[in-house]
Order: sequence, then C-alpha cells, then structure tokens
Amino acid sequence: MSRELRPVPINLRNTKIIPFEFQYFEPESLEEALQLLRTYGSEAKILAGGTDLLVKMKIRAVEPKYVINIKLIRELRYVRADRDSVRIGALTTWRDLEKSDLIREEVPALYDAVKSMGSLQIRNMATVGGNLCNASPAADSAPPLLVHEAKIKLTSIEGTREIPITEFFTGPGMTVMKPYELLHEIIIPKRKGGSSFIKVSRVAMDLAIASAATYVEVEDNTIKDVKIALGSVAPRPIRARKCEAALIGKKVDEGVLREIASLVAGEISPIDDVRGSAWYRREVSKVLVYDSLIKSLERVRR
Amino acid sequence: MIWVVKITFKVNGQPITLDVKPNELLINVLRDKLKLTGTKYVCGIGECGACTVLLDGEPILSCLTLAVDVNGKEVTTIEGISKNDELSEVQEAFMEEGAIQCGYCIPGFIIMSEYLLRINQKPTEEEIKEYLKGNLCRCTGYVNIIRAVKRASESRTTKTG
Amino acid sequence: MVDKVSFINSKTLRKDAFVKVRGLLKFTNDLEVPGMLIGRIVRSPYAFADIKSFDVSEAMRLGAVVITPDDVPQKPFNPRLVSVNEVTFKDHYVLTRKPRYVGDPIAAVAAPTEELAQKAAESIKFEVERVYEPVLDPFKAMSVESPLIHEKIMKGDEWIEVKNNVAATLNYVEGDVDKAFREADVVIERFFKTGKRYHMQLEPKAVLCVPEADDKITIYTTTQTIHNTRILIHQIFGIPLSKINVVKVPIGGSFGSSIQTNVLVPIAVALCLKARKPVKLTYTREEDMLDHSNFTFNFRIKIGAKKDGTLVGAEFENILDVGAHQIQPYPLLGTSLGWFVSLYKWRNIRYIGKAVYTNKVPGCALRGYGAPEVTWAVEVIMDELAEKLGIDPVDLRLKNYVGLGDVFWGQGPTVRSVIKSDGVPELLTKGKELIGWESRGRPEDKKGRFRRGIGVGRGFHTSGAGGPISGEVIDYSGAVLRLNEDGTLEYITALQDHGGGTLDAHVKIIAEELGVPPELISLATATTENTPYDVCTHASRGTYVGGEAARRAAQLVKQKIFEYATRLLNRVVNPEALKIRYDEEVKQTIIYVEGSPDIKITLKDLARTAWQRNWGTIAAIVSYRATSAPPSFTVYYVEVEVDTWTGKVRPVRVVAGADVGTPINRDLVEGQLHGGFAMAWGMAFIEDTPYNPETGELLSRGLITDYKIPTAQDIPRVEDFKVILANTYEPTGPFGAKGLGEAAMNPAVGAIANAVYNAIGVRIYELPMTPDKLLKAIKEKEGD
Ligand SMILES: Cc1cc2nc3c(=O)[nH]c(=O)nc-3n(C[C@H](O)[C@H](O)[C@H](O)COP(=O)(O)OP(=O)(O)OC[C@H]3O[C@@H](n4cnc5c(N)ncnc54)[C@H](O)[C@@H]3O)c2cc1C
Ligand code: FES
Ligand code: FES
Repeated sequence: MSRELRPVPINLRNTKIIPFEFQYFEPESLEEALQLLRTYGSEAKILAGGTDLLVKMKIRAVEPKYVINIKLIRELRYVRADRDSVRIGALTTWRDLEKSDLIREEVPALYDAVKSMGSLQIRNMATVGGNLCNASPAADSAPPLLVHEAKIKLTSIEGTREIPITEFFTGPGMTVMKPYELLHEIIIPKRKGGSSFIKVSRVAMDLAIASAATYVEVEDNTIKDVKIALGSVAPRPIRARKCEAALIGKKVDEGVLREIASLVAGEISPIDDVRGSAWYRREVSKVLVYDSLIKSLERVRR
Repeated sequence: MIWVVKITFKVNGQPITLDVKPNELLINVLRDKLKLTGTKYVCGIGECGACTVLLDGEPILSCLTLAVDVNGKEVTTIEGISKNDELSEVQEAFMEEGAIQCGYCIPGFIIMSEYLLRINQKPTEEEIKEYLKGNLCRCTGYVNIIRAVKRASESRTTKTG
Repeated sequence: MVDKVSFINSKTLRKDAFVKVRGLLKFTNDLEVPGMLIGRIVRSPYAFADIKSFDVSEAMRLGAVVITPDDVPQKPFNPRLVSVNEVTFKDHYVLTRKPRYVGDPIAAVAAPTEELAQKAAESIKFEVERVYEPVLDPFKAMSVESPLIHEKIMKGDEWIEVKNNVAATLNYVEGDVDKAFREADVVIERFFKTGKRYHMQLEPKAVLCVPEADDKITIYTTTQTIHNTRILIHQIFGIPLSKINVVKVPIGGSFGSSIQTNVLVPIAVALCLKARKPVKLTYTREEDMLDHSNFTFNFRIKIGAKKDGTLVGAEFENILDVGAHQIQPYPLLGTSLGWFVSLYKWRNIRYIGKAVYTNKVPGCALRGYGAPEVTWAVEVIMDELAEKLGIDPVDLRLKNYVGLGDVFWGQGPTVRSVIKSDGVPELLTKGKELIGWESRGRPEDKKGRFRRGIGVGRGFHTSGAGGPISGEVIDYSGAVLRLNEDGTLEYITALQDHGGGTLDAHVKIIAEELGVPPELISLATATTENTPYDVCTHASRGTYVGGEAARRAAQLVKQKIFEYATRLLNRVVNPEALKIRYDEEVKQTIIYVEGSPDIKITLKDLARTAWQRNWGTIAAIVSYRATSAPPSFTVYYVEVEVDTWTGKVRPVRVVAGADVGTPINRDLVEGQLHGGFAMAWGMAFIEDTPYNPETGELLSRGLITDYKIPTAQDIPRVEDFKVILANTYEPTGPFGAKGLGEAAMNPAVGAIANAVYNAIGVRIYELPMTPDKLLKAIKEKEGD
C-alpha cells in the first residue's frame, strides 16, 4: 500500500453535547481572570460568546481542561471614544457594534462587517475579542481593523502591551498572544477618510469566501492615503501594501482603480477549500477591492 | 474550581433551581430536564436558529450556551410565547398565512419574529429577512413566513393604533 | 335551493398548526419513556476497510450495552422496500465488518445518558485487516483496477456476484435511434453531472424502541412508512409482524430521506433486544449527513430533430453514483428513463442505465427521485435545440411535450397509463405573459456588469406509482374511517404527512364527501396495528392515492349512514333516496330527501340513535390501489441577475405554475411551490457534498457550516413570486385532484439554468453552478 490511510476522528464529534468534562471558572474581575490564566495557561480556554469555542469543543478541535468564562467581567464590554480614538472592549458583542452610532460614523468598514456577519442571534452572542482571538483567516472584523490601523491591547498579570493589528495574526488560528494573556481592548485611531468592507459568500448567512476592506483619503481628486486589507485569501488576514503604494497619488478614476485593484492578486496566497477555489478567490479579490474602494470613496465625498 | 453548579433562573416566568455540570448546554437542560421540547436541536453549531430562545429578552442560541451561563437570568422559550391558550399575533399570523409545513423550524422563527416586532413594529421586507436569515427552513421557501410576519405587524399596529 | 357548502374550496387552517406554533407537537426526538437508554453508533473512520476484531471491554466496564456485528443478524437487506422482492438488491447489514464509507455503522452502545454513551462509543477499539484507498468516482470504480466494494450481494433471495462495481443495470430500446439521428436535421449531444445533495430536512433522524410485555416491541421513528419499517424489522430479526408495532409520529421534513427505514432503526432494535430496555437513538446533524444524501447523476444525452422542431430520437445514458450501499437505485434507473420519455415525444429511444458503487454516503431519493436532475438536463438541451432551430423555446415545448391523451410512464416502463388532464398550454401561455417573455432579449445583446435573463422550464411528477398492471413496484394505500357516537369522525391512515399538508387534504376530501366540517374529523393516532398497509408517502402520491382511499372510506361510511337513516326516516323507500350535506343554518350535517324539506335527520342524532339502539358502529376500512399515476404538470419562468464580475446570481422574479387538478388546499399548494423553488435554487448554485479524496471523509465533516441551503435573504421579494394554478380536473383523482410535492421543484432548476444562459450566454453542465464555475465560463467566453 502506497501510503498509510489514517482513520478520521468521526466518533469523537457530537454536536448535541459537549462530549467531555472540564473545570469551570467564572471570574468577576479582570484581576481574577488574569490570575486564573497565569495558573492554568495553555490548558485553559477563555470563554466569551462561545460561538467559536463551543463549536470547536463539540467537534473536539480543542479540548480544554479548564474553561474561564469572562462574561461576568462587565468592565470589558464598551464602545467609547476619546479625542483621538475609538475604544472597544473585548467583550463587546457584534450586536453592540451594530447599535453603536460611534462605530457607524467613525469606523464604517467595521459597521459593514457587522451587517454581513452571522445572524442576529450570533451577533447577540459573539464578541469582537473572540473574533480576533479565534484568528480565522475569514474573521470579518479583521480587514476593517487592519485598514483602520487598530491597535490591540493585551493584558496579563505582568502588565499590558499594545501591538498593531498588523502584527497580531501569525497564521490560521494563531496570534502573538501568550497563553496567559487576555485581549483587553481594541484601539482605533480616529481618521477623516472613508472606509468600507465587502464580502462574497455562498448564502446570506455565511463565512466569507473572500473579503476586502479599504480606507481612503482624497485631496484634489487624488488619492492621498489608502489602506487595503483582505480576508480568507491567505493564512491570515492581510494588508495589500503593493496595491496601496500603487494607488497613492493617483487620480480618482474608475478605470485606474480597476486596473490597480487587480494588482492585489499578486499579494495574496489563497487556497482551495469547500467554500471556493484559489483561482476564484484571486479573481474575486480584485473585484472586492475595487468595489470597496468605490464605496469608501463615496463615503469620503459625503 | 467547580464540578457541579447550582443555578437559579427563570423560564417562562417560573423560577427554577437546578444543579448542572459546567459542560451541560442550555438546550439540553430545557429539553431533557425541564421537558420544554419546543426548542429544537437541528445543527448544534449555531447555523440554523431552531434552538433560539430569548435570554433577558434577547435572542440567543441555546445549543451554544452553557447552562451555567443563564444563572440569574430569564429565559423565554416557545412554550412561553402564548399566554394560557391564547396565541400571540405572530402565532396567529403563521397559521393564517400557511407559513407552517413540517413545523420543525417554526419555534425558532416565532421567537425571532416576536423579537423583531418587539423592537420594530413595522419592519420592511428587507428587515424581516435580515432578522430571519439565521433561521433555516427547508419546507416553505420562506415566502409565507415573511408574509406572516408582515401580517402580524399589521395586526399589531392596527391594535395599538 | 340551498347551495351545497364546499369544504374543498374553502380556506381552512391546518389541523396541526395550533400545536406547532406553540412548540407542543412531539416529534420522535422529543419522546421519552421512563428508564430508557440513550444509544450511540460507532462509525467506520475508514472509507473502505475490513475489520478483524473489536475490543469492547472498556465500554462494558463503563456499564454500557454494546453490540458489534457478532450480535446482529448477518443477513443482507435493502432498507427501502418498494420494488417487489425479485428485483430488490440487498447489501446492507445492521452493523458491518466491511465498512464501505466513512460513517458506515460498525458497532453501537446504549447507556443511561448521552454523555456516557458517547464515552463508551469512543472507548471501543478495533483492529483492521485491510484498508483500501477510497474509490470516489463511479467511472474509476468501473475500471478493472478498482477493488470490488461489494463482492456478493443478494438479489431477491439469491446471491449474485458484483462485476466492476456495477450495482444494477437497466437498458431500453424503442424504435431505431441511429436511423433517426441520420435523418435528423439537427443533432445535439451533451454531458451533464449533478452534485451530491443532502436533504437537510430539519429534523435529524431518530428512533425510540420500547420492549413491551408478550415479547412485543413498539417503535417510534422518523419515517415516511410505518408499514415498511415494520416489515423490514421483521425481515432482519425474524420477529413476527404481529409482535412489532410501529407508531406514526410527526416528522420534521423528509424529502425522501426516510423513504427507506433509516439504519438507526434496526440498530436501536438490536440494542433494545439486548438491553431489554427502551432505547432512544437520535442522530447528530453530522451523523444525519452520513446516513443519506442524493444519488449523483452523470448523463449523456443526445437528441435529434427536424427543421420544423419535430423530435425524431433521443439517446440517454445514465451513470448513477449510488454510494456505498443500495437504497433502491434499480427502480431509479427505471424512473430516470420514465421522466425522460414522459417529458417529450422522442419517438425513438435508446437508454443505457448503470448504477455504480463508490465509497460514499449511500444515495437515496431526494424530492423527485431523479426528476429534478433529468428535467434540468432535458430542459437545458431543449433550450439549446430551440436556439439552433430558431424556434421559440416555449413553442418547441408545446409542440413536443407528452400531454393529453398520450401514454405516460413517468414511474418507469412497468407503470403505464394515459393522460386525462393537462394544464400545460394554459400554464405556459399565462406564465409567458406574467414574466414578460417576449422582452427578455438575447444574451449577445446584453452588456455591463449586472445582466438579467429569463428562462423557462417545464416538467411534471407522477401522482404515485400506481397503474393498471402490477409491475415491479408496490403501490397501494389504505384508510380507516369511523363515525363516533356523537357524530364526529375518526380518520386513521398509515400515510405520513411530511409537512405538505397531505392529511389536511384527506380530511377535506372526507368533509366534502360527507358534508361534515373538517373540524369534526380527527386524525387519530395511526400505528401498524390499526391501519391497513400503505406503501409510503412518496412519489407525490399522498393526495391522489391516499386521498382517494379516504374518499372511498367516506363513501362506504355514507352508504351505511343512509341505511341507518332509512330506518329512522320511516317514509323513505330506500337509501338511494337520501342525500347528505352541511346545513349552514342549523350548523349541522343533515341527511335529507331532496324536495321534501321536512324529511331529514342530523348526523349527530343518527349517530346517537344507532348507539342507543344497538345497531352497531358505522366504520369503513379500505385498501386501495390506483390504476393510474397521472402527471401533475409544473412550469417555471424565472428571471435572474448575474454579476459578471463575481459569478454570483440573484433571483429577481419567479412565476411558478402548477396543474394539480383541483387544488384541495390552495395555500398549501403555493407553499409547496415556494419551498420547491428554494430547494431548486440551492441545487442550482450551492448544494453539494464533496469528499476528501484521500480519506474519503466529507469535506464538510457533516457540519452545515459547509452545507449551505438558501436563507430568507436568498429568495426573491415576496411580491415577485407569483403562483398560477391551471384550471383542470383529473377524472381519476379524488374530486379531481392530483399530487404536487415533487412536481413543485422538478422543472425549476432547468428554468434557472436557462435564465442564466439568457443573461450571459453561458451554459454550465455541471451542478451546482457555483460562482467559481460561472466566473470561469464568463471569462473564457469574454476573453478576459
Ligand atoms: C453560525 C455562525 C456564523 C458565524 N458567522 C461569522 C461571520 O459571518 N463572520 C465572522 O467573522 N465570524 C463568524 N462566526 C464566528 C464567530 O461567531 C466569531 O468569530 C465570533 O466573533 C467569536 O466570538 P465569541 O465571543 O463567540 O468567541 P469565543 O468562541 O468565546 O472565543 C473564541 C476564541 O477566542 C478566545 N477568546 C475569546 N475572547 C478572548 C479574550 N478577550 N482574550 C483572549 N482570548 C479570547 C477563546 O478562548 C476562543 O479560543 C460565526 C459563527 C457561527 C457559529
Ligand atoms: S441547533 Fe442551535 S443553531 Fe442549530
Ligand atoms: S416548516 Fe419544515 S423546516 Fe420549516
């Protein structure tokens, strides 16, 4: 026999129940949570909305010994603004974002993402922190936050650190976070340009086959600043820097935008999977970037 | 460290106290322990909406909610939508519009429609679809369900003036 | 003169709606009995392996009841009983040592809780003798290098050897096709391939098996046929039929997925027999997707026509991928041909049908039993023919379709009858106007990113599988109707309502026959103990066959009512002088003499008197075989919009037309069409269950995250979905009615595909037409 045929773990999965036991903690303060994380580290999992974690536990993709439910830490759920930035607490749900005028006005790309994310029920449960920490290449909050150059505040018993979101993701399901760290806050600098997010998916409630967000600033009908990010087309959500560089200084012209948007194909490394082929992702990325640029530009003008 | 947790919560107005294990799901507590089988398991992974219940008035999926997480809260299931034998406008409208075929998805749709009409008395067709897109139905093709929500919205607004 | 009250044409609410909207209706999944154990199946983690031995010690230590292939009868069976025994192919075992797909049941456990059962199931170890590479392609499976998935299977009561992994074949010739093609002005040949769709009925399969006193067992399960479930359990375990009672429980959708007895039923029975305790076994969604999905079809179709559009011949090759086990693909080879020949008058036909094994989930019927697939392919190739000939596609269809007065054998060569009602011209003409057919334009004239197109599709489904001659298929039904002592009625039928409202239609039919309001007729619990045999709610036979059985029962009851009434109304000469109707004024059903208003009695009084005077119960038991299976015709006109940059398609408008004879419940008919269209949309663009080529596992792993069906946001605007019903009357059906369920979907995919073509000038011959495939085709055509 040419190669060894390995069994698939179908007998372990059971989505009716959580098929194994774990120890459970319900810290009521950040302090307490950080302490628990320090103690249990890599054998523990934080539970926020549970829309990723519980699914993974049911299908045995993860099997934590300890589950730390952070939902009682109310201080982690907020959207607020100071002079320079919008701050989102990790436990803020997608539904909170949907109801927030601040997000709609200041971070329109993220607002678009909310509108295309999951169902009402999912948005009610799922948190933005969970979306980032889960680090799926398809995470819908990532492209908007990438183009808005957000910073992620991570907190542990040892203190806090802030890192640019561009450095946050390291691969599918992987981030720079240490097992004892907690995602605390997302900090989005206030900017005057327009932004948007678009995704293609198989049906109306679905993960992205591919997604794109853009941010633009225009002066004298010339692109002064632009950021482009894509989801589901690489091992992690990415920025398309070459495409950005090529756009700076260009006149706003649909033909030019279309042509430069196609450059994005060279910056991504999509794969074939059940949702779509690498070829399709490459093709559609160009369209998504273009469509998103147009939408962002409309928002600038307004 | 917790192995069994005592939780107290309300279901359809009734106070309940139960011992649950941390890995127990709300859907199974409702169905198996409280015999409220109107809440349905269809996918177990958040994709279908058949297990939707209201938690403190907000729709959530009971298949992705730990029972320990409802401690101190109030759960409304499909069984709590009609008072005694009197149907709600939404329930009436689903019957009138022929929106019910096999009925397996219906509890989830009714809960979501109730919620929608509570926060938006006169939703547009687009809004109805947006609110119901997390609930799958394989029989009706959704048309009569959407009609039913419109009808319920109309009968509510005429009642409340 | 008082107008007769018609219940058929009046709107009534479904009988079960009141409990359904409150979440109080109990499905199998919702049942429980004291002391019951929860079962869990251990499934093969290999696509193609032979197992040497099992180690169940840990599971026993956990206190679970365990069964392995050693504990169950090793006699092959076919889980669907529909063909007569001689042509039933059997290769299933309750549990197998030779798993043939990832998910094949190999052992099972039962324990007091789901969690414990899960632990026990996980603890079972086994050693494999050999593991093969999965064979996932039917053409590869037929080649000599491929190992045999099954070496020996049973046909009827005889063992036969399988060659080249071919599970069954069916060939057919009529006339001289080669000559026809030589004489044709135009010949077109195309290859078509469908996706492997999954039913995605909302209720996952479930069973509760309860041991009773006197060695009896009671079974509650998700099934379309309680009687065949009982017979199958009898065949497998050798338990006499009289010791098995299968109770009809409401089912949360089916679409063919429980046309067979789902294999969890015999497993639960085996667990129950061993444990001597009630056992409940319910699938997870992942398991449900491993239990059933559709067959996959590979067609080669070649057709020829004269310049004037007259068809002269057709060749049809049909390679079915049946998956790892047979759930009646043999009759499907017959019905595929039946759908094909009953769509258009080909005049000369050659058919080659082969059903081939692969290491995939066993294929079974999915709403239409091949008709949506065959109709899609035929409607596409007819569209191409129309274009080549320069004839309007609607006219070409009208010229060639099989209609009024023609011989019709939709359910295969052994089930023939003559068409007596036909609404096709009416539907095609009306639909054309409603959609704006004439202004649809030509693809080559359409420019820009978003392009719209309109397409037509036409098809039918049979109402049941009855016929004048007993063929290879079993098809008859039954009904029991009883007049209670207070004048209400109890109706009992083994026939299952999948949600389409079949039984409400029956109640209306009884109401119409007896002049009793539907509210007074109750649907009593049906079991195999208290009902005559019914084959299955399949082939859209519920209304036509079951409804006629109900009507006949009502007729018998009426005769007896008249007999009793003759005794009571002393001046009446004989029962024939009497009539029955509902009287709006007194709100009662009355038995009366026409023209003599004072000679009458209410049904209520009659029922009571019959009881008080010891005359005996009025009841009827009917077993009914239909001698034809008339087609319900359907027509779809669909408008779509294609985004030529992304390949995404959006439904814009739909006109769905149906010829169901008399519509017994208009809103239920509409509901079927809405549902049929949504399912067709999924089939056209989204639904497929691809496999991992190395492991043979479903790529989705059974998670519906990767098996999408249309959502509320994926359908057209409500006002843009129009339904038209033809004005026809089927003389052989109850009050002129025919079936609908499957016809509601059959031609929709063809219409959608043709609309896509009309928008962008591209045809995709492989379903689903994903954005991926569409975009590739658009780019190839437009040279980008
Ligand atoms: C039906 C369905 C539809 C979905 N649709 C979409 C969609 O359209 N787009 C999309 O992007 N996603 C989608 N998701 C995925 C999911 O809902 C989101 O990723 C969600 O935001 C996760 O948040 P959560 O709070 O539920 O995370 P959880 O499941 O609670 O946690 C996810 C992971 O993050 C960790 N974690 C959570 N919070 C923190 C924290 N503060 N610090 C450190 N670690 C933490 C957890 O330990 C876990 O590993 C969908 C999921 C489902 C079930
Ligand atoms: S069962 Fe909870 S969403 Fe499907
Ligand atoms: S009515 Fe059957 S799934 Fe919705």
